[in-house]
Amino acid sequence: MSDHLGLYALLAPTFILLAVFCLVPFVIAFATSFFDYEVGGDAKFIGLSNYLEYFHDYTFLQSFANMLLLTAFSVVMVMIVPLVVAKLIFSLSSERASYFYRILFLLPIVIPNVAVFLIWQSVVYSEIGLVNSLLKAIGHGELARGWFSDPRTSIWALAFIGFPFAGGINILIYYAGLTSIPDSVHEAATLDGATGLKKFVLIDVPLVMSQIKLLVMLTIIGGIQAFEGIYIVTKGGPGFTTTVPGLWMYFNAFKFQRMGYACAIGVILFLLIMLLTVINLRYFKTTEQLQGQV
Amino acid sequence: MRKRRSDIPIHLALIAIAAMTLLPFAFVINNSFRRTNEQFHGFFGLPVALKDAARFTHAHLSGHPDRIKLGDDVVPYADAMRHCFSELVFGFTYAWGIFRPYMLNSLFVSLASALGVVIVASLSAYVFSRYHFPGHRALFLAILSFMMIPGVLTLVPSFLWVKQLHLLNSYSVLILPYIAGGQIIAIFLFKGFFDGLPQELFESARLDGAGHFQQYWHIVLPLSKQIIAVVVIVNILSTWNNFLWPQIANGDANYAVVASGLYLMSQAQNVANADKSTMFAAYVISAIPLLILFVYATKPFMQGVTSGAFKA
Repeated sequence: MSDHLGLYALLAPTFILLAVFCLVPFVIAFATSFFDYEVGGDAKFIGLSNYLEYFHDYTFLQSFANMLLLTAFSVVMVMIVPLVVAKLIFSLSSERASYFYRILFLLPIVIPNVAVFLIWQSVVYSEIGLVNSLLKAIGHGELARGWFSDPRTSIWALAFIGFPFAGGINILIYYAGLTSIPDSVHEAATLDGATGLKKFVLIDVPLVMSQIKLLVMLTIIGGIQAFEGIYIVTKGGPGFTTTVPGLWMYFNAFKFQRMGYACAIGVILFLLIMLLTVINLRYFKTTEQLQGQV
Repeated sequence: MRKRRSDIPIHLALIAIAAMTLLPFAFVINNSFRRTNEQFHGFFGLPVALKDAARFTHAHLSGHPDRIKLGDDVVPYADAMRHCFSELVFGFTYAWGIFRPYMLNSLFVSLASALGVVIVASLSAYVFSRYHFPGHRALFLAILSFMMIPGVLTLVPSFLWVKQLHLLNSYSVLILPYIAGGQIIAIFLFKGFFDGLPQELFESARLDGAGHFQQYWHIVLPLSKQIIAVVVIVNILSTWNNFLWPQIANGDANYAVVASGLYLMSQAQNVANADKSTMFAAYVISAIPLLILFVYATKPFMQGVTSGAFKA
């Protein structure tokens, strides 16, 4: 028994840290959501009022629509671009060339996210930036505009940050999936007369389905939570054209000091994520765990 | 059996996509070497200082020292080149002055968190991997279940909580939560690795009278350099990139890290509408540490980013 005590002692740092910095905030999130609470002021228990209020919030519909659009757009992109690039890299006959491209496409990951958003804001979309210059160069200068300040384009300008969506780790994940497809499958398909695109759609895509599901799920979960880039680039404007629920939570907490209300928004987003996770586990085969095979 | 065919179309397609991906960043690097007034004259183009340097060098080599002029004065070649160089790196010199404290803070916070994660997570993973004790399975599942808690839920309450703990504006408000959160995926990775270590090693050590901790220290750690590298990289990547938490928890700019510092700089720049070259230089500087890590440890880096994909 004393033997076991020693083991528990070795586990103590893990559990103390988890309890203090993960479990307590988790509990506080739910608890605070039932209160009308400003930092420094008194907390007043108001039951479900924060939740009810949020469903009638003037940003509610638009922010969820924005979130849906941005998330759906990234889902479509993550299913297509990195998979196609991974397939192209995988088709190379030279192993060295393939390694080179995998590294090249991973390279942008060294740039901090904040820098990426600021770069897109100041280089790609600014008054004299790449997009407007390109439009002028091809004789369509009249289309040039402040892409984030025009309410008609702001949400799409946000969605296209990161275009062509090839940089980063997704290619590696698909690539790992493609390498695990046995050569015999391809040979059999070739003998059956399948070629090119047909082979890709009928053979490769079904066989990397678990990678596709993993990335789609991660993209959805990420999309529901993402607001850091929006905060940096547009602050949700102009108007509320780029506001998403996460950003509204942030503003309620740190601009309007409405901590209870902000926590309620956080809980709603959490429940949404849990619901989607459960549906995913229940109705789709579980995503395999994929340990850095590169 | 594969039919031989040319790779050239594939190369062309890949190079085109890579060029589109990297274009904005290439542009940033180029303009970080251009003074702000150059950029207002034209957003595109090579740095004037670079063109001058080429002109001066040509004049120098072709025996026309009288053509080496700064303004209206003919100057020695060495002086002219020195001038070009300082013009070229003007943005960097200036940005580094502002950026250095952020960089040091980030380095400290990231390294301390990574070290903490390695120690705490490897100890726990070792215990879970090597021993059976009451609650083994339940405790391990409890740890993994924390992976399901999304950051958006805990952001605001974490702030309220650390405020109560009087941790705001400190290094520990970053490092402690980073270790707490970062250890989860690390325990998972470490355990997977430890499970694969040969059992005989431990048997013989135990017969030699080594206790739990000695076995961990003398057998496990020396064999685990590879996986430690992966865990360290996964952690540095996430802490280096984290923006919202440092932004919220440390309003005091003395504790700003690279991510929040970049944002502070960009806000100040917007207000003053001042130096573009400084901002571009800051972006470049902010990427250098991870670039070095990437070049120096490519293999574990690639392994680390794919295993980090689980951390939803």
